[in-house]
Amino acid sequence: MFRTASITCFVIVLVGIAIHCLALRPKLGGLFGKEKQKLKLVGALRKLVYLLALLCFAVLLVTGFTPRLLLGTPIAGYWLMLHATAAPVFAVCVAVLAVMWADKCRLDKNYWPWLLRILHHQSENKAVPEKHELAQKVCFWLIVFLALPLILSIILSMFPLFGTHWQEFLANVHRYCALLFALIVIAHTYLMALVESKRNTAK
Amino acid sequence: MKKGLIYTIIICFLLLGCPLSGTTVTAQELLGDVSDGSQSVYVHLIRLYDGEGTAIAADDEPAQPFSPRQTCGKCHSYETISKGWHFNAADPNVVPGRPGQPWIFVDASVGIQIPLSYRAWAGTFRPEQLGITPFEFTKLFGRHMPGGGVGELDSDEAMRQFVSGKLEINCLGCHNAHPGQDQGGIFGYASQIAQQNFRWAAAASSEFASVSGSAAAQPDTYDPLMSDAVATKYRANTFDDTNRVLFSIVRKVANERCYFCHSNVNVERHGSEKWTADEDIHLTAGMTCVDCHRNGLGHNITRGYEGEDEVSENLLAGTSTCEGCHLGTGSSVPEAGRLGAPVPEHPGIPPVHFEKLTCTACHSGPWPAQKTYRCKTSQAHALGTHGANKSPDALPHLMFPVLAKQPNGKIASHKLIWPAFWGTLKDEKVTAITLETVRQVVGGVTGGERLPPSGDWPDLTEAHIAKALGSLQESVEGTVVYICGGKLYQLDDSGQLSKEEHTVAEPYLWPFAHNVRPAAQSLGIRHCEDCHATDGPFFFGKVAVDSPLVSERRAVRTMIEFQGIDTFYAWAFAFSFVFRPWLKIVALGSCAFLAGVLLLYALKALACVAKVLVGND
Repeated sequence: MFRTASITCFVIVLVGIAIHCLALRPKLGGLFGKEKQKLKLVGALRKLVYLLALLCFAVLLVTGFTPRLLLGTPIAGYWLMLHATAAPVFAVCVAVLAVMWADKCRLDKNYWPWLLRILHHQSENKAVPEKHELAQKVCFWLIVFLALPLILSIILSMFPLFGTHWQEFLANVHRYCALLFALIVIAHTYLMALVESKRNTAK
Repeated sequence: MKKGLIYTIIICFLLLGCPLSGTTVTAQELLGDVSDGSQSVYVHLIRLYDGEGTAIAADDEPAQPFSPRQTCGKCHSYETISKGWHFNAADPNVVPGRPGQPWIFVDASVGIQIPLSYRAWAGTFRPEQLGITPFEFTKLFGRHMPGGGVGELDSDEAMRQFVSGKLEINCLGCHNAHPGQDQGGIFGYASQIAQQNFRWAAAASSEFASVSGSAAAQPDTYDPLMSDAVATKYRANTFDDTNRVLFSIVRKVANERCYFCHSNVNVERHGSEKWTADEDIHLTAGMTCVDCHRNGLGHNITRGYEGEDEVSENLLAGTSTCEGCHLGTGSSVPEAGRLGAPVPEHPGIPPVHFEKLTCTACHSGPWPAQKTYRCKTSQAHALGTHGANKSPDALPHLMFPVLAKQPNGKIASHKLIWPAFWGTLKDEKVTAITLETVRQVVGGVTGGERLPPSGDWPDLTEAHIAKALGSLQESVEGTVVYICGGKLYQLDDSGQLSKEEHTVAEPYLWPFAHNVRPAAQSLGIRHCEDCHATDGPFFFGKVAVDSPLVSERRAVRTMIEFQGIDTFYAWAFAFSFVFRPWLKIVALGSCAFLAGVLLLYALKALACVAKVLVGND
């Protein structure tokens, strides 16, 4: 069940991104910017943490899903050890990024004009958000939200609190949260690439 | 006309009569074969019958020993019973099932300690490979055999078997509830076997008969009417006025009866002092062995292991397991908690453990120590019999608990024995050399070494082995080898002794379940490091290697070698548990930050929405 669901979801998301790329031909070349920007310490730290998080995510994605999806076995052995090694680093990175990006990713009233229309309310701030920015920010908040059950489900199972039935339940929560989390991170990364490359190109 | 009528009658008889008569013969059901459902105990006030089926009377002279086949067989189908698990080892059509405890032949004087079985358990040897006939086998191990099976096979020693008789199933050995049932006493069952009194063993073990004389001492021309013949005497008041005898027969066998053949003692922790050791938790809780190990008329008793239902016809084989009572088998109606079994929660134990371990791995035997213990069992050490060697060093040397992987991939608690025997090597296969040859040839070489009174190995050296191999080579065709301590010894081309590891020298392991420890003493009850520690005995405990060679007696193997797990992986995984508390702290700290951010911005969003709603923006 999980195997089928996972493969289907990954295929849908990756194919969706590929179609989007082919249809709109976004200019991802501007992602890394031609001009060297001087980064402040916080900015550099933020980028460093983000890159570390991406690296850990890749490790977790491979070690977590390969045994289940490709080998048809539960995660065990060296896969599990690598997974458990990358996981705490990733958890810290997500927490740090959440703190650093939360303010930047606020969904202020410019992102919900439909609500303002319903309330017959005119906003003074007419700034129009960039394309894909809303989706990227929603993805960010989903990532922050999903990280909680994802981490807690596995950490709580390490305490002598839950019996076999609940252990299995927690393992399933971890599994399905991880699937959803992975899909959203992939989408978020793609959307961020789009937004950032557009910003860099505009500069 | 008359002729035609006669022919018709004959043809009708042939067509109808014969098949009908055949049916009645095969489907004969005796009085006691099928229960009427009453839970009460049937009173067995019955006649005794001798081996010929003749009724025995109080005033018979000379008195004949009663035959269980003839006496019990009057109401219970002996043939059906004799196919039961306790009696069917020699039947090649019986599926051997999971490896079990073998019979162990020991002759320390020639360095032999070898697991034997008529069942096809990999790692055991068939008795005939060593030249042990069924008669000899019965003589050696009948003390702890319930009779039947091997004891009733025709043997080459026809004359001796004529004198001794066959060892019929001794129904009283299990089903007699009378305290006078004597299995191991000086005149009891085991003593009768030692004297080759197979025909008399059942009667001698009962509370109402005594037997004098020894079949072993009788000539081949034995005459039961001789003055020194083996004699049976029934005690006064055994027979009532109709020559019937009252038996204390029970269907539900008492634990003490099982214990005679199935006792275990941890000689290193408890010695032979049973008062210092606890019983299995199930028995302590008031259960009996047969509450779980059940059988019907076919005596196909459940052994109680996972997967037994695939090879057993016993209806309860699938449910008479640890899981069957404690967890249920996934039936549509609740089954867990049978016989009052507590349903375990296993808090904090990841479910993967139940895929990789049997229940016994964590719950059975002594808590694993840095080195395996030695144990003694009734069958291996003749416990409970007159003159049993009480020394903790007595052979055979059995090690436990060894946490080893079973063929089904799960790690379970095992007992282990290192085989030691002489054989010939051909095409990487080793065939054991017969005892007769070994005793003749090797006995002369090693016989000079004093046999310790403890029953331990004599102090053999590599020089002894080399000399014995050289002598055997002159008497036996093929390459002669000696197997012991997990190694194969042979003489190389230059006549020097060489040793190598060989599959045939690998130990024989068999899983065990009893004694089960209380849940509060099971592995993992304290923390993960009960097993996942870099020096934890579960993976890194030492398994003692047993060898008659003095130079090899301190050798050990690591438990993980029997588990099919990469040593570095197990060590690294165990080492990672040092950081487990940090992992928990870091992960929970991260969660706290994430929750804080979510809460903060949720409140901010709420404030923003509220402002918009009240038009205060």
